[in-house]
Amino acid sequence: MRIFSTIVVLASVLASVAAGAQEPAAPAVRFEAVDVYIDSAERPLAAYQFEFAAETGEIKIVGVEGGEHEAFKHPPYYDPAALSNDRIIIAAFNTGQNLPSGRTRVARIHLQVTGAVGPEYVIIVSAAATSDGEKIPARGTIAQGEGE
Amino acid sequence: MKRKTLVGTGVLVVVAGVIVLLLSSHFGCGRTLHRHYSPSQDTSGQGRMFFDPEGTYAAPRATLEAQIAREPGRGRADSRPEGMPPRQDELWIIERPETPPQRTGDDDPGTGALMAVLPDAEKEVPVPLKHTDVKAQISGYIATVDVTQQFHNPYDTKIEASYVFPLPQNAAINEFIMTIGERRIRGIIRERQEAERIYHEARRQGYVASLLTQERPNIFTQKVANIEPGKEIDVNIKYFQTLAYVDGWYEFVFPMVVGPRFNPPGYTDGVGAVGHGTGASSGQKTEVQYLRPGERSGHDISVTVSIVAGVPVEGIECPSHVITRSSGDSSKVTVKLSELDSIPNKDFVLRYKVAGKVVKSALLTQQGKDGGYFTLMLYPPDTLKHLGRKPMEMIFVLDCSGSMRGMPIAKAKRAIAHALKMLEPDDTFQVIRFSNNASQLGPAPLPATPKNVRKGLRYVSQLEGGGGTMMIEGIKAALDFEHDPRRLRVVSFMTDGYIGNEKQIIGEVHKRLGASRIFSFGVGSSVNRYLLERMAKLGRGAVAYVGLDESGGKAVDLFYEKISHPAMTDIAIDWGDMAVTGVFPQRIPDLFVGRPVILTGRFSGDGNTTIRVTGRVGDATREIALPVNANGASHNGISAVWARMKIADLHNQSTYSQNADLPEQIKQVALEHGLMSAYTAFVAVDSLTRTSGDHGVSVAVPVPVPDGVRYDTTVTE
Repeated sequence: MRIFSTIVVLASVLASVAAGAQEPAAPAVRFEAVDVYIDSAERPLAAYQFEFAAETGEIKIVGVEGGEHEAFKHPPYYDPAALSNDRIIIAAFNTGQNLPSGRTRVARIHLQVTGAVGPEYVIIVSAAATSDGEKIPARGTIAQGEGE
Repeated sequence: MKRKTLVGTGVLVVVAGVIVLLLSSHFGCGRTLHRHYSPSQDTSGQGRMFFDPEGTYAAPRATLEAQIAREPGRGRADSRPEGMPPRQDELWIIERPETPPQRTGDDDPGTGALMAVLPDAEKEVPVPLKHTDVKAQISGYIATVDVTQQFHNPYDTKIEASYVFPLPQNAAINEFIMTIGERRIRGIIRERQEAERIYHEARRQGYVASLLTQERPNIFTQKVANIEPGKEIDVNIKYFQTLAYVDGWYEFVFPMVVGPRFNPPGYTDGVGAVGHGTGASSGQKTEVQYLRPGERSGHDISVTVSIVAGVPVEGIECPSHVITRSSGDSSKVTVKLSELDSIPNKDFVLRYKVAGKVVKSALLTQQGKDGGYFTLMLYPPDTLKHLGRKPMEMIFVLDCSGSMRGMPIAKAKRAIAHALKMLEPDDTFQVIRFSNNASQLGPAPLPATPKNVRKGLRYVSQLEGGGGTMMIEGIKAALDFEHDPRRLRVVSFMTDGYIGNEKQIIGEVHKRLGASRIFSFGVGSSVNRYLLERMAKLGRGAVAYVGLDESGGKAVDLFYEKISHPAMTDIAIDWGDMAVTGVFPQRIPDLFVGRPVILTGRFSGDGNTTIRVTGRVGDATREIALPVNANGASHNGISAVWARMKIADLHNQSTYSQNADLPEQIKQVALEHGLMSAYTAFVAVDSLTRTSGDHGVSVAVPVPVPDGVRYDTTVTE
């Protein structure tokens, strides 16, 4: 497929967001979600890969959900060989015509968090491309997940 | 903003990883989750059962058991199908464990608390599993199967659903998705105990969560926590599976129900079979609840199989179910299970035949991010068909336990009778029966003279089913005979394999096998295929299945066709220009007429080469040359199939080896490839859906006993 043979890696874009303020009465073990956004500016986003990890705190990844746009609604795949408690590499692509542009939520990561201190997360977008394989200087950000 | 150290690692490595990961994900991208629900037809299924349709057996249990206690072996007489034993012989209760049942707390499903709110439980039992949808796509000899289980809560209180169900023993399960409304959450593969801890914590806190664990290579448990009243939650499981090729036909099998297992007294690591609503009473680690005669559930099943054969499909048969068929062209066929046959109480068996007199050995490959993977279906040489066999020492071992009572044992007896008549004068034979113990026709194998064959036929005709399944006794009796080295010893087990102590059985076979070859017959509608196929592999033989709607004679004829020609043994393979490693199974099985074997491995190098297979046929060495092109046919499930076969190989070793590292090795392979195993599990938690209160009541999904199996001789009340 042409798109994949022409993908060139982008300069990694980092975003780190402390997800949620520290709750004084937070239970020792709790569950929360982190939403992952990719901003492809005006370009239609057809493919992406990112790494998500916790730099501090104790987490376990317990589920991966798809994004808000129809093109990325199916829960994306992760690389089981690269999976650990606090790190996951996720990727997806869509060859259709209806693709998102601008800032869009591409995935939601469900977590089990242990300890009173809120973890600090990091996201590394290692690839983003249009449907014709052109790289996009996309930016990744995260925010605390909330129900729709 | 923080930067992880990984950022500085090689850009090229990341690029390669991106491309491979994206490519691998492509193949699943177009899938959609199907959520069909067909309103159940007449789901009672009683017209297919042996007990009378008026539900006579739904008499109060106390009355029934009292009658049994007073008059063992006595009961009502009625008209039965031809060949079936009279009903008065069928009132029999399976041996109960000597150890008292242990309740293990409120985490176990079916605590009974919910039963108080279930109206009309004697007729239709509300169950938390509404529908199972199966969609299979067959390409080459690999099936990609999507199974969607639609859970719901028909009660007035929050529940946890628990469902023990079967899948094929060679299923490489690598995908698990939980659907809540429009939201789909991909499950994460974890070390099993860790996944269980995550699930129980989520359940305790009221989050919607699901957990998939493996109890046997062909038995799994699905749990879904915190389903609120009226709510629905779907679980989608995807797996790859290599198909069997049997006597000219490819065979796709989807099992629908776990048969009721017998566990030896004192054994607790088995699979218990208990009546609906009597949960956690078997004392076994895994437990299946069964619907009683007269009870039914609304759970039904739909199955769609799409075959893309590449060459014209010449024939299709489904001996187990009613199907409808449609095809675009002759090489693409779609088969659907009829809505009139949607009770999930027996294996769905679909066979198809492709055009051409001779099927060629076929190589399929996949380029993974960590190298190449392949599977090779290796067919036996035609020359085997022209060679005769040496005299046989034929040992028939008939399972006469309670679960075989009725039509299964009638089928098995007919098959043995047919086989006895096909013996040649130079052969010898023996017949062994086992249930609670084992006994046999005579102290030593008899020459197959007409007089002795008649004696054997008389002995077989008076055998009946009843009692436990002390299979070890049958194995000891069959394999401990002194062997006549002038003859090929063939041991043929005729059983449904309904035992919970598979590991003990397989270990015993390994210990006592000697020169014997095991060619078994699985008899019934939902046979324990894992046990029978494992025994056949250990015994360098094969297994055939005789469904209740199939002719046992045909299976026996094909069996004799196989053993009437020498196998190609001591097989070695020169892989040519392919640099091959990690081939499974490690010991290449013998090749029999009509029975190819599937090998899988990893490779590098140019796959455009000729593979040379050498082996012994009698006293001569034969060679098969197979030109292959590893850059030709590919399939994106090969790496999962390879990992599953490696896990199976390690698991098989663990049944007889003391190597303490085997569980860790299995776990590592499974985690690396994202696969289910005995030591890994899938867990999914919806951290945004927290229900009020703590966890709900645990409810097991009761299932029907398999078609042709009697409840009262197999299920403990």
